[in-house]
Amino acid sequence: MSQKRKAPAIPNSQTRYSRASQALDDSGEDYSFTQPSSSQVQRGLDHLTPAQVDQKMAEVVQFILIKDQKKIPIKRADIVKHVMKEYRNIYSEVMKRVTKTFERVFGLTLLEIDTKNHLYILINKLETVPADVCNTNPGNPRTGLLFVILSIIFMKGGVVKESVVWNTLKKLRVEPGERHEDFGDVKKLITEEFVRQKNLEYVRIPHTDPPEHEFRWGLRAEKEVSKIKMLQFVSQLHDQDPQSWSQQYREATADPNNQRPQNV
Amino acid sequence: MAEANRRAGRGGQGTPAPQQNGTGRRSRSQRDEDTSDEDEVGSHQRRSSQVPEEDDDPAQRRLIRHRYRELINSVQQNREDILCPSSDKLTEVLRQADQLFNNVRQAREAALDAQFLVLATDLGKEKACQLQADGSTFDPSVYAEHLLTFMGLNRLEEEDSDEEGGYLPQDAWQRLGVKAQDCFRTAPSFRFMLGSFMAEPPPPRQRVERQRKAPNKEVKRIMPTQVKKVDESHQEATEKEVERILGYLQQYHQEDPNSPISYFEFVIDPRSFSRTVENIFHVSFLIRDGLARMYLDTDKLPYIAPVEQGEAEAGGSSSRQQCVISLSQANWKEIIQAFDIKEAMIGAPISCTPVE
Repeated sequence: MSQKRKAPAIPNSQTRYSRASQALDDSGEDYSFTQPSSSQVQRGLDHLTPAQVDQKMAEVVQFILIKDQKKIPIKRADIVKHVMKEYRNIYSEVMKRVTKTFERVFGLTLLEIDTKNHLYILINKLETVPADVCNTNPGNPRTGLLFVILSIIFMKGGVVKESVVWNTLKKLRVEPGERHEDFGDVKKLITEEFVRQKNLEYVRIPHTDPPEHEFRWGLRAEKEVSKIKMLQFVSQLHDQDPQSWSQQYREATADPNNQRPQNV
Repeated sequence: MAEANRRAGRGGQGTPAPQQNGTGRRSRSQRDEDTSDEDEVGSHQRRSSQVPEEDDDPAQRRLIRHRYRELINSVQQNREDILCPSSDKLTEVLRQADQLFNNVRQAREAALDAQFLVLATDLGKEKACQLQADGSTFDPSVYAEHLLTFMGLNRLEEEDSDEEGGYLPQDAWQRLGVKAQDCFRTAPSFRFMLGSFMAEPPPPRQRVERQRKAPNKEVKRIMPTQVKKVDESHQEATEKEVERILGYLQQYHQEDPNSPISYFEFVIDPRSFSRTVENIFHVSFLIRDGLARMYLDTDKLPYIAPVEQGEAEAGGSSSRQQCVISLSQANWKEIIQAFDIKEAMIGAPISCTPVE
């Protein structure tokens, strides 16, 4: 049901962004590539057999699946450069089909998290089964670590100084200078890998000497993480009612990521 | 000195002036100090501006600066404690700074005071932020304790040491990861079902490095020494050989000046073709340098004779002739038979390879 409501939204956003990118003219670091108009796309399609278009679509799907292994957002420029190549004039049409395939075949949503730099991520369209119901998942320690950091940021109102995070992690036996059994070089994992994956933002606070940094949620986290579930878990740990954190509760219930589960 | 003491006394008993005014006045007194005029005009100015002057005793000032730095440092170190909602440490350090400021008379110390104020303001702001959160406040250290409990911390041993107490099970983070997974809508990542080759090729960097390093080492280690040695020793060896052969030639000639020396008999070593070739090569130097000459007898067989000292120059300028001697192994054997050569006239060198 929600799928039907969601489905038309994707092509819409596609055309919207195609128009926007035409206006921007894709200058700068982006692979030189302008989004052709719909009539140009149509003309491009006329030259190709449906099988050829589907073949391209399959290639893009595979490319994205492989690229997603590292959970680093996929750049449109890379898709165009490595897969689309001479098919770039029908990019929007192929991507429309790619999105549809991900939704219908894989149960994944392809999202453009950054419309300026054209970054895509895949997120799970299906509800996760609660861990205590079906415990086949061995659990990833890194998810635990990321959760701790994201939850501190969220509970602290969206921004948190680096020192707060490290002080909390220290209590959890994670030291920035030491090799951790599960995480290796923790500092690198948090300030580089999580940042590259767009799970975290790590920004220097201006006018600080020695430089201090602060953490925020990254673009991926904004799409992937359910704030209400996070708040529920944090409250459960504190043995409190989620509503007692009124500010966080308000923010969590306004989170667009929650709406779908509630509809289902 | 007396005046200084008097001023110090006044400064001590006087109530502290409001801070903003204080800085203004101090900067004026700073100007006085810069000119370092201890004359009447200077002291008159000071008196007229009514500043309770502390003596600019460097030791006193140093002490004040030291205390400020200590205070700033301790605030930075104990930041988290001060931020704790139940702590009124911030008020305490502000009071300390106020007391310090009573003795501040110069801009340099006041700058430190300002620096402390920035720090205190920042802390104040953060404390205010904590209050803003209506409803429950979130304390990360309390949160950490709850997380530790969830992760299965064994608190039994904690009573001994409160800092690093307790034993965290091996799968602690995994346990948290399982629960945290519920909050993430992460797409399961693509894996090869049978774990075929890894998606990433093995890092090619290593190979490149190895290739690069190996020739470097060789070049550094062997090339310079070997090239020089080979060149030098080879040349030297050739020269020595040539001289040695000349010695033989002259010796044979002196022994029997009247009988000509057959070139083939002289050059050929019946036991070694390679020695023969070497001899021919070395003898050619003798001919080139005009130390020996070759001629054909009536049977058109080549003969060799050393050139006498006096003759040398005359022969050198005369017409030069070149010829290429080709000698195959079969030729060599034929010659040995034809001339019935049993022994080499030129003895083998002491060692066949250049001594080095």
